[in-house]
Amino acid sequence: MAKARALDKRRKSIRNIRKITRTMELIATARFKKAMDRAHAATAYTRRMTQLVADLANSGLEVKHPLLEPRETTDRAVLLVLTANRGLCGGYNSSVLRAGFARYVELQQEIPNLELEISGKRGIAAARFRGYVPSTTYTQFEDRPSFEEVNVLAERYLAEYSSGQLDRLDVAYMQFENVSRQSVVVETLLPLGSLGEEPAEENKSQLQYEFLPSAESILEEVVPTSFKVKLFKCLLDAAVSEQVARMVAMKAATKAAGDRIRQLSMAYNRARQTQITGEIMEIIGGVEALNN
Amino acid sequence: MAQIQLVVVTPEETALEAAVDFVAVPLEDGELGVLPGRAPMIGRLGYGEMRLRFGSQVDRYFVDGGFVQIADNVVSVLTSRAVPAAKIDREAASNQLSEALALKPNSDELFESRDKLESQARALLRVARG
Repeated sequence: MAKARALDKRRKSIRNIRKITRTMELIATARFKKAMDRAHAATAYTRRMTQLVADLANSGLEVKHPLLEPRETTDRAVLLVLTANRGLCGGYNSSVLRAGFARYVELQQEIPNLELEISGKRGIAAARFRGYVPSTTYTQFEDRPSFEEVNVLAERYLAEYSSGQLDRLDVAYMQFENVSRQSVVVETLLPLGSLGEEPAEENKSQLQYEFLPSAESILEEVVPTSFKVKLFKCLLDAAVSEQVARMVAMKAATKAAGDRIRQLSMAYNRARQTQITGEIMEIIGGVEALNN
Repeated sequence: MAQIQLVVVTPEETALEAAVDFVAVPLEDGELGVLPGRAPMIGRLGYGEMRLRFGSQVDRYFVDGGFVQIADNVVSVLTSRAVPAAKIDREAASNQLSEALALKPNSDELFESRDKLESQARALLRVARG
């Protein structure tokens, strides 16, 4: 009897786990949809920004800005690693951290003053475990990073960059390509290499724009803004990817729990049947013994 | 009567999309009014009030810098924030103003950032007052 009961107990607890993982999967799905909508809404801005830059370039203005030029010597750099605040999302955190820490070690060889900045509790814990000391940590970016919060961060980087306290900024995060594909990238955001991708030839408008107050003044503002938008995009991508990873991980966990329940049910039934058979055999044996 | 298509986008969302008769946007160095048929232009925005009129209704928004692009009767406003005038948090704005005024900048960058905070707060208050 003991064995069958133990099996039943285990089956019950796995049922509870399945309930939990299923709920978490549903929550992650809902959050993913919201994050995805936000990321989608943000593309309207990026698209128009790219168009604006293309129109500026078309007007014959030479696109030149201190933020676009690489520095001759890179003495101070910051590596920002974007991880999640929570676990249970498959390989999401570990793959970001693997790529991020690899870059950190690599950059340490070249750059004397390298600082590590980490967003997300998981990343902070992992860094502590490995003995890296992050200079700044953030935990406020959840699945809905707001532009206002990111703006504060971006403004600080820009101020440090223009005053020479920072020569390079790298960001390690999970880029969102589509629902079934996310990849870890380590991108250099400062200095900005270029202002967005070049639009296709036929896209180029032939309109002659009037610039107020002047094309140079607009460019002066365009460059920092596109940096901010890029950084914001990194955080949005990271948020969406996290939810996707959690969704997939919880789906797999729910499925695994279901499989395990089936196996345990089979073992339980078999054990119960064996027990019944054993008891019948005992009774028959007893009867036989009395008859003789 | 011809109308202008006005699109206001922020990095987070498309804040407003409407057909209007007239729109006034705050450029960095003064206000710019746009009627249908405006020649194409790109302008840099400052902090201030954006007014749009359709029919007899006038709506007022606060825009937080950015750019405006006008082409083919479409006015695209790219800004980091667009707040309807009625929803401005006056208290936060006046706090920001008094904080900005209390700063004691000692370098060019700090001066610049204080000026920015100050003019942003003043513009917010101005729009809120109406």
